[in-house]
Amino acid sequence: MIPLLGLIAGIVLGVVLEPSIPQALQPYLPIAIVAAMDALFGAFRAYLEGIFTDRVFVVSFISNVLIAAAIVYIGDQIGVGSQLATGVVVVLGIRIFTNAAAIRRALFHA
Amino acid sequence: MTVTSVRRRAQRRGQAVSSSAGQQPPATSQAPDASMDLLNQIIRQPVDPDYALGAARGDNSSGRRWTLGVLALIIGALFAVAALQTTRTAPVLQSERSELISRVQTAEGEQDELRSRVTTLTQEIATLRAAALGDDDTARFVESQINTLDPVVGNVAVTGPGVLIVVDDSPSAAADARDRVLDIDLQVLANGLWEAGAEAVAINGHRLSNLTAIRSAGDAITVDYRSLTRPYRVEAIGDLRTLQAGFVESSAGAWWNDLAQNRRMRYEISNVKQLDLAADPGIVLRRAGKASS
Repeated sequence: MIPLLGLIAGIVLGVVLEPSIPQALQPYLPIAIVAAMDALFGAFRAYLEGIFTDRVFVVSFISNVLIAAAIVYIGDQIGVGSQLATGVVVVLGIRIFTNAAAIRRALFHA
Repeated sequence: MTVTSVRRRAQRRGQAVSSSAGQQPPATSQAPDASMDLLNQIIRQPVDPDYALGAARGDNSSGRRWTLGVLALIIGALFAVAALQTTRTAPVLQSERSELISRVQTAEGEQDELRSRVTTLTQEIATLRAAALGDDDTARFVESQINTLDPVVGNVAVTGPGVLIVVDDSPSAAADARDRVLDIDLQVLANGLWEAGAEAVAINGHRLSNLTAIRSAGDAITVDYRSLTRPYRVEAIGDLRTLQAGFVESSAGAWWNDLAQNRRMRYEISNVKQLDLAADPGIVLRRAGKASS
């Protein structure tokens, strides 16, 4: 319940305050969001399986976001930024779909 | 799925993580799909293995709920900010727009070039004409006649003080077609300006001459068969002291007063110190004869 409220409050805050992201960080925002979605789905699946722990979620979320952004940053420096971003999105996308399928099975038995 | 079965699956997963002796085939070098290890790992271990380890350790403190809330807040803010920025910046639209702008600028440059060429050629024509006319009394008479008539018929660009009249459809034009400016309204306007003593008149930059047609074509009004866009700017060069008053008192002024009052059309008239009217490019030589000398 608290996470859901936090999510809604965050969206409202973001829309109302419209904080401006520094220009240098803007390319990494979408990748960070994909990583965040991956962590969210993983956490939800773990929650449904009864093995959820806050500490793991916090650590995995932060490390996922940072590593994804770092990969794209390094890629930008060596000239393959968009390719590495695609790679990150593909890998995280597979995980998101797999987790979403497991969540669906757990929730709807289908 | 019952809670016990959930627990069982979690335990099974934990075993598979801690020791590779689970039901799933271990991804050793002997496995036939060893080269697919990465994808296998992504698909088989989509949940962070630490969840299972933490659960096995019994690391399930509910005191850190607020960190979850804070994190969820951050995630929500990330989503909102990213979505807002994407919609606001819209880089694709921006690039399309800048390309269109550059194309317009190129076309405008070409137009300027052509226009300057027209001016040069016109000057050349004038020189040639002067040379052909020679230098006797008749020639001088013809020359002075040309100089008087050229601005009046719209053959040369003219500059001078005058009035600017801006007219436009009334705000309710979409609902009632009678609230739109029609070709006859502009015709009346132009004729009124001539009547009031205008020496040169242009609508939206199109110079009017004796042969200019102001007609409707579809939804647009055309001047010399070129469509106009609203609002309509009618410029007239003439005597500042009499032009505006003469127009307002003429029947055209009454016509437009009526339109402005009853149809709420836009109708603004103002004196301007300097107007630059281009020549009418539609004027061509229709009849020519050798001067009797």
